[in-house]
Amino acid sequence: MLQSKSFVKKTKQGRVVKVVREHYLRDDIYCGAPSCKVCDTSASRLSNSASTILIVDTNVVLHQIDLLENPAIDDVVVLSVVLEEVRNKNLSVFNRLKALCTNSLRKFFVFSNEHHKDTYVKEMVGESPNDRNDRAIRVAAHWYQSHLGENTQILLITNDRENKRRAVEEGISAETVESYVRSLGKPDLLDLVVLSSSADVNMEDVEDHRPSKKKVIYSEHKPMSEITSGLLCGIYHQGKFRVNRYNPFEAYVGSESIGDEIVIYGRANMNRAFDGDIVAVELLPQDQWHDGKSMIITEDEDDEEEDVHLAPSSADDAPRSVNPVQPTTESVPPVSNRPAGRVVGIIKRNWHSYCGSLEPMPMPAGNAGVAHALFVSKDRRIPKIRIQTRQLENLLDKRIIVAVDSWDCLSRYPSGHYVRTIGQIGDRDTESEVLLIENDINSRPFSTQVLACLPPLPWSLSSEDLANPNREDLRHLRVFSVDPPGCKDIDDALHCKPLGNGNFEVGVHIADVTNFVLPGTPLDEEASQRGTSVYLVERRIDMLPKPLTEDICSLRSDVERLAFSVIWEMTPDAEIVSTRFTKSAIKSCAALSYVEAQARMDDSRLIDPVTTDLRNLNTLAKIMRLRRIKRGALTLASPEVKFQIDTETHDPLDIGMYQIREANQMIEEFMLAANISVAEKILNHFPLCSLLRRHPSPTKEMLEPLLRTAAAIGLDLDVSSSKALADSLDRAVGEDPYFNKLIRILATRCMTQAVYFSSGDLSPSEFYHYGLAALLYTHFTSPIRRYADVIVHRLLAAALGIAKLPPIFQDGPQLTGIADNLNYRHRNAQMASRASVELHTLIYFRKRPTDTEARIVKIKSNGFIVFVPKFGIEGPVYLVPKGNNGSDWVVDEAHQRVTKVGTNIRYNILQTVKIHMEVVEPQPNRPKLQLTLI
Amino acid sequence: MTTMQRELRLSLNQTQRVRLQSALQQLEEMTSLASAITVVADTIPVNHEDSILKGHGTSDLNGEVVATLCGVVERVNKLVYVRAQRARYKPEVGDIIVGRVIEVAPKRWRLEINFSQDAVLMLSSMNLPDGLQRRRTAVDELNMRSIFVENDVICAEVRGFQHDGSLHLQARSQKYGKLERGMLLTVPAYLVKRRKQHFHHLENYGVDLILGSNGFIWVGEHVDMNGENHILADQVSREDMADKSCVGQVTQEVHERITPLEIRTHICRVANSVRVLSALGFNLTVEVIVDTVEASISLNTDIKDILAAEFYVQTAEREVQRRVSLSRKKG
Amino acid sequence: MEYVDSLTGFRLDGRRPNDMRQIRGEIGVVAKADGSALFEMGNTKVIAAIYGPREVQNKGQQANNQALVRCEYSMANFSTGDRTRRPKGDRRSTEISLVIRQTMEACILTHLMPHSQVILIEFLVHILLKFFMYFLPKICFLQIDIFVQVLQADGGTRSACINAATLALADAGIPMRDIVTSCSAGYLSSTPLLDLNYIEDSAGGPDVTVGILAKTDKVTLLQMDAKLPMDIFENVMQLAIEGCKAIAHYIRGVLLENTKQLECRRGI
Repeated sequence: MLQSKSFVKKTKQGRVVKVVREHYLRDDIYCGAPSCKVCDTSASRLSNSASTILIVDTNVVLHQIDLLENPAIDDVVVLSVVLEEVRNKNLSVFNRLKALCTNSLRKFFVFSNEHHKDTYVKEMVGESPNDRNDRAIRVAAHWYQSHLGENTQILLITNDRENKRRAVEEGISAETVESYVRSLGKPDLLDLVVLSSSADVNMEDVEDHRPSKKKVIYSEHKPMSEITSGLLCGIYHQGKFRVNRYNPFEAYVGSESIGDEIVIYGRANMNRAFDGDIVAVELLPQDQWHDGKSMIITEDEDDEEEDVHLAPSSADDAPRSVNPVQPTTESVPPVSNRPAGRVVGIIKRNWHSYCGSLEPMPMPAGNAGVAHALFVSKDRRIPKIRIQTRQLENLLDKRIIVAVDSWDCLSRYPSGHYVRTIGQIGDRDTESEVLLIENDINSRPFSTQVLACLPPLPWSLSSEDLANPNREDLRHLRVFSVDPPGCKDIDDALHCKPLGNGNFEVGVHIADVTNFVLPGTPLDEEASQRGTSVYLVERRIDMLPKPLTEDICSLRSDVERLAFSVIWEMTPDAEIVSTRFTKSAIKSCAALSYVEAQARMDDSRLIDPVTTDLRNLNTLAKIMRLRRIKRGALTLASPEVKFQIDTETHDPLDIGMYQIREANQMIEEFMLAANISVAEKILNHFPLCSLLRRHPSPTKEMLEPLLRTAAAIGLDLDVSSSKALADSLDRAVGEDPYFNKLIRILATRCMTQAVYFSSGDLSPSEFYHYGLAALLYTHFTSPIRRYADVIVHRLLAAALGIAKLPPIFQDGPQLTGIADNLNYRHRNAQMASRASVELHTLIYFRKRPTDTEARIVKIKSNGFIVFVPKFGIEGPVYLVPKGNNGSDWVVDEAHQRVTKVGTNIRYNILQTVKIHMEVVEPQPNRPKLQLTLI
Repeated sequence: MTTMQRELRLSLNQTQRVRLQSALQQLEEMTSLASAITVVADTIPVNHEDSILKGHGTSDLNGEVVATLCGVVERVNKLVYVRAQRARYKPEVGDIIVGRVIEVAPKRWRLEINFSQDAVLMLSSMNLPDGLQRRRTAVDELNMRSIFVENDVICAEVRGFQHDGSLHLQARSQKYGKLERGMLLTVPAYLVKRRKQHFHHLENYGVDLILGSNGFIWVGEHVDMNGENHILADQVSREDMADKSCVGQVTQEVHERITPLEIRTHICRVANSVRVLSALGFNLTVEVIVDTVEASISLNTDIKDILAAEFYVQTAEREVQRRVSLSRKKG
Repeated sequence: MEYVDSLTGFRLDGRRPNDMRQIRGEIGVVAKADGSALFEMGNTKVIAAIYGPREVQNKGQQANNQALVRCEYSMANFSTGDRTRRPKGDRRSTEISLVIRQTMEACILTHLMPHSQVILIEFLVHILLKFFMYFLPKICFLQIDIFVQVLQADGGTRSACINAATLALADAGIPMRDIVTSCSAGYLSSTPLLDLNYIEDSAGGPDVTVGILAKTDKVTLLQMDAKLPMDIFENVMQLAIEGCKAIAHYIRGVLLENTKQLECRRGI
């Protein structure tokens, strides 16, 4: 069965090493066609009646993946050589292809031609790897044809002319993508076909339509060999290209070789790089390093200015500080010492599909239906994309998805193709979907496989659950929950019982999700992929199916539920005497809202048992909170907004800051304590594979904007430690009550977000949670809406010896992968929530132009950025009309203020101003919120 | 297929390879003993009703007789044992062996004889140079080095195991003693069968051939059977050397006693024949060796070419013919 | 990295998870040695040579009552892609030497080669007078030297060494209880994999090396330097044992063929 063939490969790892690997060729690889008489057909994927089987080449997959994903294309054989090439060239396309190949509804079959004894092709002398792979594809196609006989036609789909010619010579039928799609007779499919500029002859006349054909707009990218040698000798610098979210003409490349970020200004210097690409950058001569004094308004005529948006809540959301950290050296004022550069080559593309709409344009007259249009992405970091469509009038007022195919140096914009339509622009549902897609959030309903993992409904506590020796019956305890009003996924509940010795028994009961979500099931996979529930203004996208989220797991009142409990004995001084973890069965006696709980505590007439418990808990919580703050925990603030939504139209009725009550803090305190206790327990048992959460200490540079602002208003902040910062924040009391909160908001946005990590990946000193001033922290208390908590539940159960540790924890890299995915999902969920709030803010102000107070948070050369506390939004106010660069306003960096030349009109940072808010529509279908000074 | 080329690394061309393989194939077909072949951990089928004695190379595992060696199962009456091939020499009393002195110890010499331990030749178990039967004196003991020194090649007979487990040899005959003017070849011990005669005088070539049971084979210039003189003469010459330390005389004597070139080439031819046979894994009997030597002469094969591929293959083919004719005779 | 292709189910080199690499054994590759063998598992190639049983050279090492088995493992400088000069007797080779020695000791019938009666005498000598030792017969103990060298390394060298040593011991005609064979298995991409090659070995996953006595089904070697849950471990170990058995079957074939040839050629 085994035939061995060794081949020699050279790899470069600093030096040249000859690698010899075995390569086994086998005769037990089957063709996947159910009609085949020779092969084992049990694993066949192709359809029974397939008269034509398609074999696609690598470039077809890479460029036409959108077409392949269309259900009209089926019975495709994907060769492993193609799969491998796709994997090396573009991982995201590879993942999509893989999904296609595993999707049982689609008839895609993977044939490992590289390991089949008849289709393995040895590289010939002087043959390039590409030619060799093309030959391998042809050999495989030929094998298929002779293997399956005359009844089935094997069609090789390739856009490579040479490959096609040779295939035909060798007696294989071959077609280009376009001619194949034409032969299917479905014109709408043609929009999905990517017309590559290089491949086809008969395409060239179409190409000529392009307006800017003759002009070279961008400089040619350097060949890869030159880039590698340039990188080696330090002329070029490699890094990830990140476009400024707030200014698409400015980008940064973090380079390890010079240890600093290289700034890239302007499209010409960006040289066709997209956000997220890995690029090679050449430094510009030092005299061309622009001063980073950031102009809000930028060079190009087709640009939009900064938008009004939700105030950022952490450093990750905030616009990057561009100001040089160098106010002292003013010898060469126009030159900053922040290196500037230009892109000379792109090492790895990060192209995917983008959401947006077409730029308004008149209908072309008398065309054969093919129109060229410019697509404008919702994401401002993405340049406009040129597409071809046959359904222009349909698409003009729609949100559509477009994928990028190529960008040659002759055209100003990249060219792409239409993928699909989402819906009407401006429609709330469409826009909501856009923001979900933009943040890579899966909002599809759960699949039947996932739903099959749910326990039968209606679910109730069974006697087996109670008979389980590991499950304690705590139904006699007076357990209650406190949550935001209308909360349906209640995942935590509390109890508090005075003990005979004057201590209290305090229990935190968390929904026992892992009892229902078993590792390795489709349900678990899905939840792990989703990572978290996403809360939008008008809807919630659940991590777990609704029956689990709202019923089976939710610790509602007066029903018996399974829980995972952390039970402490605490002294009246809130010192923890002992900690105990157990699975349990509870029966909540009340599901309170924060308002209710607060009202109960405040109403001194009430002396019912629940209220007493609440008061006891509150007393303990206050002590714990005080102690935590003493330890150095930061009390940070973020401007959370709350919408009141019309129940019928789902339009926002009112908007306001979220009010935090003592009850909130009480619950938060016990959740923190539970999380910390659990973190200690699991780390103790599994020092190498615990999932923890850490919050890195902010670096000096990150705190720089805060310090500058503080210095400008004469405030002295000590940032040497979290404790020092917390103390100095406490001292920062200004003349008005909101001052302190504002400073805290500014401080918060300097911090990065806390992240999940696997304890095996970092050293214990890095586990620290800066914001909470906790040595260890994890998430345990919300397993219904966060997958991290599910993992921690499993770890804790294993630590207690109740359950076995799932094998995934043995796999370090996989665990790291999970933690990374959780961080990614968590962040995306937050972005989506913010985007949703922004969307609703816009809808709200559309009908209600408002005058309100705002605070200046940042000074710019042509205006300033204000923060509107009442609505939690932030946006620019221009002092100089757009397009007028001869500003008579002078910025004073040291004091952070702008002064009008020759007058006494000046604006200081943190100053209160009156502004007018109004929705304007400068371009059709592109409404935006405008702030003007009154 | 693993071809056995233990000592010769040959580059066979295509035809030679085919010829060799067919020859070896024929040999294999001729001998039908597959059933008797056993390898380590194989169960040896025995009739449990007969009482059996488990011999060498067997052990007991849950009532089964299991081989601990690779080889051929031999049954002698009740005794079942495994005759191994490429193992070290297993001495039996009376075996004639060739060995090499590795140490001169008090009243004894130690010899390397391809056994797992060194063999001991006591001063008392060998005839003295003067040929008298008498008690060994301290003087004799002091003169031991004048008889054998380290690295001398000696022919002797296995006397038996002593109570302490050491193997003792004796050399109480004229035919035993030091071997000179020749070559020592080592071959796997299983290739030398025990026979009545281990000393051979190949008269055509003036060569002595001693097939030691331990796989050490001596090919040397023929020594007269009344070799007493020879040894004596040698002894005298040594004593002379010691006493007079007269260099000129010694060189003269050595010169006189130089082996003629013809004999030396014969020695080489015989030695190479032995080598080629042992490389092929054929039984080493004087007949086969002589046969091979004659063939090499009749084929006009150079001495060095005896070890080359062509003769190697021819030897294999000749062996096939030999065995065919043998079986015909029997038949 | 994906060590088992989720679409085709093949490993990087085209094997299925429970396929072994191609194995090959050859007997009699070192002329001078009492027994020798070459063993290949895919690109891993090792040579083993046996010297002995012979007299103990260093009297300090002699063991009571049984033959002394010594083993030396080394890697040729050219055995890996990068030619680094390895110091002789580094930790890794010392450890593997020990592992191989202990594994082989378990199958060699060392007690068949003692000279126990001598011990008493020697004991007396120690008590009485050291001087007399000179006159007493020299005491004789036996040792067996196993030298294994990796000629080409591609993962699973210790298994290959044990297999080579088994062949060489059988060739040297040293009595053995049973055929010892060894094979490794690992756990990558949530799949138990048989006979890891270098890439899979260096993936950092668990690597279970098992050595068994093929006939008696006893484990003589079990090594793993990672954590695995019991049930998975049992699967992986079972897979490795299956591998050992396949190798034992092959080795038995090689030995049988070799013995047959020797016997046939020798004639009667």
